[in-house]
Amino acid sequence: MDDKTKVLEREQLDIESLRESDVDLRLPAVVPREPYPIEPLAPDARQQTRAVGQRATRSDGRLHGLGQTRYIDDLSFPGMLHARIKRAGIASARIKRIDTSAAEAMPGVMAVLTGKEIPTNSFGPSFQDQPVLVDDLVFHAGDGVAAVAAVTEQIANEAVAKIVVEYEPLPAVLDPVAAMREDSPKVHAPDSNIYASKVIRKGDIEKGFAESDHIFEGRFSTQMIEHVSLEPHAAIADWDANGRLTIWATIGRITLARSDMARTLKLPMSRIRIIGTVVGGNFGGKNEITQEPALALLSKKTGRPVKGVFTRGEEFTSTTTRHPIVMDYKSGVTNDGRIIVRQIRLVLDGGAYCSWSETTLGKACILAPGPYKIDNLVAEAFVVYTNKTMTGAMRGFGAPQVCFAYESHMDDIAKALGKDPLEIRLLNAFDEGSPSPTGQVLHSVVVKESLRKAADRFGWEPRS
Amino acid sequence: MTDVTMTVNGLPRSASVPPETTLLQLLREQFNLTGAKLGCDVGDCGACTVIVDGQAVNACLMLAGQADGRQVLTIEGLASRERLHPIQKTFENSGGLQCGFCGPGVLLSTKALLDENPNPSTQEIRDALSGNLCRCTGYTKMIEAVQEAARRLREESPAQLTHAQI
Repeated sequence: MDDKTKVLEREQLDIESLRESDVDLRLPAVVPREPYPIEPLAPDARQQTRAVGQRATRSDGRLHGLGQTRYIDDLSFPGMLHARIKRAGIASARIKRIDTSAAEAMPGVMAVLTGKEIPTNSFGPSFQDQPVLVDDLVFHAGDGVAAVAAVTEQIANEAVAKIVVEYEPLPAVLDPVAAMREDSPKVHAPDSNIYASKVIRKGDIEKGFAESDHIFEGRFSTQMIEHVSLEPHAAIADWDANGRLTIWATIGRITLARSDMARTLKLPMSRIRIIGTVVGGNFGGKNEITQEPALALLSKKTGRPVKGVFTRGEEFTSTTTRHPIVMDYKSGVTNDGRIIVRQIRLVLDGGAYCSWSETTLGKACILAPGPYKIDNLVAEAFVVYTNKTMTGAMRGFGAPQVCFAYESHMDDIAKALGKDPLEIRLLNAFDEGSPSPTGQVLHSVVVKESLRKAADRFGWEPRS
Repeated sequence: MTDVTMTVNGLPRSASVPPETTLLQLLREQFNLTGAKLGCDVGDCGACTVIVDGQAVNACLMLAGQADGRQVLTIEGLASRERLHPIQKTFENSGGLQCGFCGPGVLLSTKALLDENPNPSTQEIRDALSGNLCRCTGYTKMIEAVQEAARRLREESPAQLTHAQI
């Protein structure tokens, strides 16, 4: 052992002497440094940083302007095939028969894939309830039934039209409130349509309503909204001969995508490489996989890279959207306009699959009472399955919907009491240190200043 | 197959394509000019905007054959090797592009506008960009960028301005 150590020491010495040998030839490697800045790099809250007030431009702005940014659809590889997915076009049904023979016989069609060929046909960020391609039951009209890979997009389109699917139509659930009833058909039988819920309680609402001078009720609802990012969902899958899979995808969460790919394909994660490319708009709509496992399997079947780009129509029917919410509000108010009690019930239309519904449910429920000091509260929220396009993440995760409801409700209350809408908000709004509906003590609260400033800027005249 | 020959970004280009090929497909797939994007394929979003004989057009709605013998300008032809076009410069400076997918179309609609009207009003800019959808910026920064580009272009070529005003 000692000999070995000596050898190592000698080798190290040799290397060191080699390193030193050309020292005369070198320039000083390091320029003497400026002293390290003494002022703290992380500013305290509300302290002005040096970045504030400085102009900043996007680091990728120049490439965008030159048209040189490469989005997925701008990439192509030798021998690359184009994929297209056959959509169900029916909200709820059982698949009796899929006949892909006519499509497979077409010249230029290299492979056809159905749901039965997917190793684990389910994925999702919180519940794994979404199939890549449906194999037995159709849960919404935008579901994929089969996928085709062909040498051109046009042939892929024609091949998809030649796939024959026979359905046995089943009753569909389309209204989220009706979906909550016991006797409603179940979207994912035998499970209940209500797949997540949340309740927030504070104070005593019965006492609150008993002490109120006026009680107001209102129902508000919002519609389903698609993100409409200008770049459609797109991906390229390349399953190489070593059994390693590379995916180029417009996905904001590449690690989640990797685990979902590993699950659906029953492939070790170490064999999957996800390359998140420049995304042409996400807004929450590109936070999970869509067609990627199907593209991967088509690539495996054909031994070629396969590209899939959704049509604008598919963007609306087959990708996540914003939750429509039915929002029931009941508030107890004193004669001078103070809200002392509020009861809220939210029913989120989750569509066919969970996606990011749990996150949306939580945020919508917490924010539903609004930025107001209300001592007695109950907010209940439910998210239910319906046979519609799935709803998921979208900017704000439920916050814009409840904002529409509590502010509309506030206007109704102001009008009924003959009060100025601004004044009633200033009377009830959070102050510095107010507790949120969940009891969090709030700091940096500027809601009243913001309201006053906004009213001043657009010339609000008190209305009564 | 249809034979098409046109001038693209100042250079003669030709190809033999199926008759149903759109100008967008021709540019992207045959000429490898991927700056023009496919956003909706029905002429709503303007991501595919290019300039044909001075007019901004949706390349997804124009057949390759219809552009035969004409002058086509794509985003790849806007800058020269020496410098960015002032429109590219001001969009970069003002943060007029975020995800950038609509960018090439917006910039070319702007170019077509400023070639015709060197001093457009805000409303005229809004009208000119009405065929280009953007989901990131809210358009405010874009309009500022167009105004600034118009100002720079006027300073650069006063002769052109007088010509246009006549």
